[in-house]
Amino acid sequence: MTGEYVLEGLAVPESLNLLHDLLERAGREHPDLDGADLMLFETAVIEVAGNVVEHGRPHGGVAWTFRLAVLPDRLEATLSDSGEEYPGGTWGTAMPDDPMQETGRGLPLATAVLDDLGYRRTGESNHWTMLRRRG
Amino acid sequence: MTDPSTAVLQPTGRLNMVAAPAFKHLVEETVASGQARIVVDLGEVTFIDSSGLGALISGLKATRQAGGDLRIADVPEQVMTVLRLTNLDRVLRAHTTVADASDDW
Repeated sequence: MTGEYVLEGLAVPESLNLLHDLLERAGREHPDLDGADLMLFETAVIEVAGNVVEHGRPHGGVAWTFRLAVLPDRLEATLSDSGEEYPGGTWGTAMPDDPMQETGRGLPLATAVLDDLGYRRTGESNHWTMLRRRG
Repeated sequence: MTDPSTAVLQPTGRLNMVAAPAFKHLVEETVASGQARIVVDLGEVTFIDSSGLGALISGLKATRQAGGDLRIADVPEQVMTVLRLTNLDRVLRAHTTVADASDDW
């Protein structure tokens, strides 16, 4: 069973809860989907989206479209946003060296739970692609 | 028996970028009111993200600077997974219950 979901909105903190709701709905509509797979994918989606909320410019004025596909062998999502080009360029898998550091764990956490995390810039948009193979 | 210098905080739902600032503020206010030993009961938290982790770390620092500590109890699966993946399980050890966490400061 496959399913596709789309959510459009503004990249602001409150929109994160709509993403959570969408992923929970996808889980309810796909009872065959392993709870751990969904939980880890949700973790990654929220981190990537949170990164756009925090670093997307102009701050508070970035629009996004989230697309999720629940496929027999994998979960795939793309988050496309209208913000300026992501300045990070690359991102690592390394957690902060200092455990008392309060930030810097978002994208490393997303990387840790995904089989693939990609970023590309096309035209005026950023595209974050997320893939997790179902266990 | 609850020590008066110990506070138990019970966030509920999603401890994400929306809720984390308020939770961080609550911890700061609790420490400022003289309660530097804080147990965070996570039993009703359904999801945590890196913002929520940041708020817990912030609280850990605030309590320790005031001579206390911050401990976590009744940690759900998603939170435990995220703590392990970020290596924060080494600084935020999970206690089974609030009573267990409140023991032996």
